[in-house]
Amino acid sequence: MTQSLKDKLVIILLAAVIAAFSITFIAIEEQVEIFALLVFAAALVLGGAKLGITASIAQSLARNERLMNFAFIAATIAVVFWFREDHFPLLMIATVLLYVIACCGLNIQFGFTGVVNFAGAAFFGVGCYTAAVLGGTSVPLLLVIVLGGVIAAIVGSVLIIPVLRTRGHYAAVVTIAFGLLFRTFLEVNDTLGGPQGLGVSGMNLFGWDFNNNIEISENLEISFYMNYVVLALIMVILTFVLMRRIERSWIGLNFDAVRLDETAAACFGIDIKRWKIVAFTLGNFLAGTAGALYAMMLGFIAPSNFAFSDSLILVSIVLLGGMGSLWGTILAAGLVVLLPEKLQVIQEYRFLIYAVVMILILLFRPQGILPRGLRAYIPGWRG
Amino acid sequence: MDVGLLGQFVVNGMMLGMMYALVAVGFTLFFGVLDVIKFSHGDVLMVGTFAGFSTYLGMTAIGIDNAFIQLIGVLVISLGSMAILGAVIARYLVLPLKSAPPLNTLLVTLMLGTVLREAIRLFYPDGSNPKHFPALLPTDSWSLGSFTLRSDSVILLIGGLLVIVGVNMLINRTRLGLAIRAVAQDEETAKCMGINFKMIVLLTFALGSAVAAFAGVMNGLYYNEINFGMGLLLGVIGFSAAIVGGLGNIYGAILGGFLFAGLQTLGAVALPFASAYKDVFAFAVVIAIIAWRPTGLIAEKTSERV
Amino acid sequence: MAQQQETVLTFRGLTRRFGGVIALNKFDMELTNGQIVGLIGPNGSGKTTSFNVLTGIYEANGGSIEFLGQDITSWPAQKVYEAGVARTFQRSRLCLELSIFDNIMIGNHKRLNHGLLFNIFQRKALREQIRENHEEARKLLKIFDPALADKMFDPVGSLRMIDRRRIEICRALISHPRLLLLDEPSAGMTHEETRELMDDILEVREMIDGLSIILVEHEMGMIERVTDKCIVLNFGQKICEGAYRDVASDKLVQEAYLGGE
Repeated sequence: MTQSLKDKLVIILLAAVIAAFSITFIAIEEQVEIFALLVFAAALVLGGAKLGITASIAQSLARNERLMNFAFIAATIAVVFWFREDHFPLLMIATVLLYVIACCGLNIQFGFTGVVNFAGAAFFGVGCYTAAVLGGTSVPLLLVIVLGGVIAAIVGSVLIIPVLRTRGHYAAVVTIAFGLLFRTFLEVNDTLGGPQGLGVSGMNLFGWDFNNNIEISENLEISFYMNYVVLALIMVILTFVLMRRIERSWIGLNFDAVRLDETAAACFGIDIKRWKIVAFTLGNFLAGTAGALYAMMLGFIAPSNFAFSDSLILVSIVLLGGMGSLWGTILAAGLVVLLPEKLQVIQEYRFLIYAVVMILILLFRPQGILPRGLRAYIPGWRG
Repeated sequence: MDVGLLGQFVVNGMMLGMMYALVAVGFTLFFGVLDVIKFSHGDVLMVGTFAGFSTYLGMTAIGIDNAFIQLIGVLVISLGSMAILGAVIARYLVLPLKSAPPLNTLLVTLMLGTVLREAIRLFYPDGSNPKHFPALLPTDSWSLGSFTLRSDSVILLIGGLLVIVGVNMLINRTRLGLAIRAVAQDEETAKCMGINFKMIVLLTFALGSAVAAFAGVMNGLYYNEINFGMGLLLGVIGFSAAIVGGLGNIYGAILGGFLFAGLQTLGAVALPFASAYKDVFAFAVVIAIIAWRPTGLIAEKTSERV
Repeated sequence: MAQQQETVLTFRGLTRRFGGVIALNKFDMELTNGQIVGLIGPNGSGKTTSFNVLTGIYEANGGSIEFLGQDITSWPAQKVYEAGVARTFQRSRLCLELSIFDNIMIGNHKRLNHGLLFNIFQRKALREQIRENHEEARKLLKIFDPALADKMFDPVGSLRMIDRRRIEICRALISHPRLLLLDEPSAGMTHEETRELMDDILEVREMIDGLSIILVEHEMGMIERVTDKCIVLNFGQKICEGAYRDVASDKLVQEAYLGGE
């Protein structure tokens, strides 16, 4: 068997295994079974790493990037199709996808450029409230999603001056203060619903109401959440393409240079302010778009969704996956969103558990579970 | 405006300023010796307050109900346990990351803050609800026209002042303080001169954390209410106060604390919108101040070599 | 040749203070086309400070800098680079987690297209630009070490010190600067490695027409071999200027180095 054929088989097999695992994981309810499945998966991954199997799979993946992307999209579609009639699993999948988009935004900010943002949930929330306020008006709802991003970016621009003038710790406090301010503001502002929050009208695309189940035949009624999953998946793919193109261009290089050494970057003509503004704005835009669709999907939002701990969860996803690592972000978003939903025991303790896991990650594996690799400008090309 | 109300605002502002200054002193000490910001500082304060509260409950349970002895017990346990906690944090979380990117220290301490907050919320009996902190100080009051001055406020202010003066004396007049200043000035040279660097760092973190615990108990005694989230606000404001004063500078921290409380009080008095927005205003001031003077009114030492 | 006499860089009374310390005190110097000037002096005498003031990292407190007929005294670092000044750093400042190619391209900033739309949507043109620049970087790196040129996509963090120095110099040279500032290129290298690097630098000078170099160096063998003239700084002040042979025998210079009290 030739190398390339072997690679292709490995990738297809891997995608199939991932799809099967995801379906099983989402479908089973018994706590003991879920726990056993997780232990089994962890053992498989660790064992594979010990025997060097994961490394050789990683090489196969790297050699066939296009196929890998399509295989993983196909796997996602398979999982979604499996749960076509079930509300809750689809809601969870859509939530994971939207978290992926928001975390991609954070990745541009501090994974690529090193601009810290501990108010991720606030910018996500700006998108949510944009959808709530504009949802009832005549603005087309697809445009509302874009506007959610635009308004998040505009709100973020208030912070640009302090963020540009400060580094590290100072910028962190600026964003923490903003996140706290945002939530307190929502709680005391009556026009935005106060602590009770606001209702949000559902997505409606050219007369297609997203909040109605899709009746295919008498026996098959597809859950209305499928609409949101499909739209979210399209948004994730667009975000992913955007992220990849940024990373594999001079823009990505400039971002990295700004993160790693501002002084050296300035000595080679790199405009630090420009790239920080681009990263901060783009990141907030992505978080805002994800928030807008999230609000439409839930139909209801309240300030308590946008607490400081929610911002820390977004940061945790980025860290857990590996700073700047796209596949890492997807994996980590899946783990962080799904685990507490599936394992009821940890639901109440999730913030505590995440925080402890993050401390361990920072102490012992700061590069995350799927560390970002070197920049390959053109896949498969090494000069 | 009514004199009584004005007086009330002044006392309140001074109390806030004292608490902010105490928190800011901790930030400044840590930054001085290690160039790090410990973001869990506010939550250490909160845990210290809960430790004090538990001490009170415990003493009441075993029949000690003399308020003065209770107060001493609360202070000893609260300050002592937080000093230990501060040193433990420094030893196991901050020092191991000394050579890692500063962002990692920041994240570790942020996450530690969450751990402390969540641990109290989840594991302290009925921890998610506010607790009534007892009034352990005498509450006689003197009236001056329409203005009433309560003795517990006066005692708290004097107590806070004594702690600040004490810390300042410790830093400037003792051998320990000399060592702390030496480490803050230049770690390598301090090591060469036989100063036990690690020990000094641990002691500094213990000192800063004990001071924070004092601020927490003060907060509890003044407002008679404590909750698991109280540290977040005090931490953020205390940090901003430390920045305004210039990190690494004790006088700056005190100045920053009172300046901040002054602005906040002024905002509450002068601004037309309801007091509901007072926290929004406080955070907006934090952002504005950092944007205005990112390195503080008293400039921070710059250490980058090119 | 008339071109040889063209003045590239002039300092007039350049001064820089840090608090009460005068790091650079009324420093005058002139550099002509193609010249290699050695900047020597004890630690803390202002050599690196003069680089930092020239490249816009520090502001000058007094005096002026003229580069190719323009007054660049208060220009920001970015603009100084655009004008044609590139440098290396005393403590190597490469991005260790990026590849060799990435690091060299950081130095090539002014010749790349950084438009958002170009980078995100015109992928074909971008790939063309990447390939062209890759080829050029390869050629440049080959002068220093052919083996390195085959490792363009390896992380810099995995390389030896001498290779890192070479990459730093390539990063500075890739944009065709008129003036190259080398800040202690031999620091942390063995004698043999220093010799190799010296040969590389001389070869580069031959290759790039009209490139002037200022070299800060403690390794006197290197200074003697490559420089056209030397300037000695002590406590921020120029105490001597001339050919290495004359400078080395100067009494003031010997005192400065031996710490003549």
